[in-house]
Amino acid sequence: MKKILRDACILSALTILAVFAVSILWMGITAEIKLVLELFGLSFIIAVVNYLLDELTSLPIIGSYILKYFVVTAIVMLFGFIAGWFFKSNFWMAFIYVGIVFVLAYLLDAIKIKRDIDFINRKIKERA
Amino acid sequence: MKIEKRQVEGKPLTVTVEYPEWNRSVESLVRKIERLDLSFVGKSEDGLVRIGILDVYYVENVERKLFIYTKDNTYRLESSMASLEKEAGVAGLVRVSRTCIMNIEHLKEIRQIRNSHLEAVMDNDERLIVSRKYLGDIKRAFKGEGV
Repeated sequence: MKKILRDACILSALTILAVFAVSILWMGITAEIKLVLELFGLSFIIAVVNYLLDELTSLPIIGSYILKYFVVTAIVMLFGFIAGWFFKSNFWMAFIYVGIVFVLAYLLDAIKIKRDIDFINRKIKERA
Repeated sequence: MKIEKRQVEGKPLTVTVEYPEWNRSVESLVRKIERLDLSFVGKSEDGLVRIGILDVYYVENVERKLFIYTKDNTYRLESSMASLEKEAGVAGLVRVSRTCIMNIEHLKEIRQIRNSHLEAVMDNDERLIVSRKYLGDIKRAFKGEGV
């Protein structure tokens, strides 16, 4: 199921990029296309930062999520200001958007870690 | 595949592979057995010592120097983490953090400790910090997929 969902997300992203690439040729960059391209750009930056934080830090799981939450929120705010997504009065909304994604990611990660640990410990018991 | 085991006293451990014809499966099997016979030359106060892969508990990188830890001893190793990982991938050595490669043959338990770090408990009760990022590699090693 996980693989199907992941493949569906990748396929959706590729479809959007392909459709928009054709649209750009016909209509140029419209506001919707610009927004989607900005979201792809932001996702790319966040993925690179996430990779670097994993490589360079070795914090406990909660610590790692808290650090990433603040770093990613800062990136979203900066990117949002440059792209004109936020008004000065509502920039704090980035904390909520990013927070929701992080809580979900943390819960999924916690479940996965518990399952992996149970699997490894079961295998150790089986070989003993 | 037929597996025969017999005890022969006074001789070193010997593995004989009989095959109807040499193919990729046989080659892969022989390569895996050869890797299990892997050993390292460690440096101790008494000089150079050959350490069999099965005696290795973990390898740690401390200030760019590699150390091999067996059940009771520590040896200095002239190698790099990357080349060691490449060499010993199928022999049960798995990276568990940026600075540590563990032999899963001596792993007793993995557990999550209070501050949400992961910890590997070895069969000599030594504990190693496991990075969450490498938990999947340990799982794959137990699945027999290698890393």
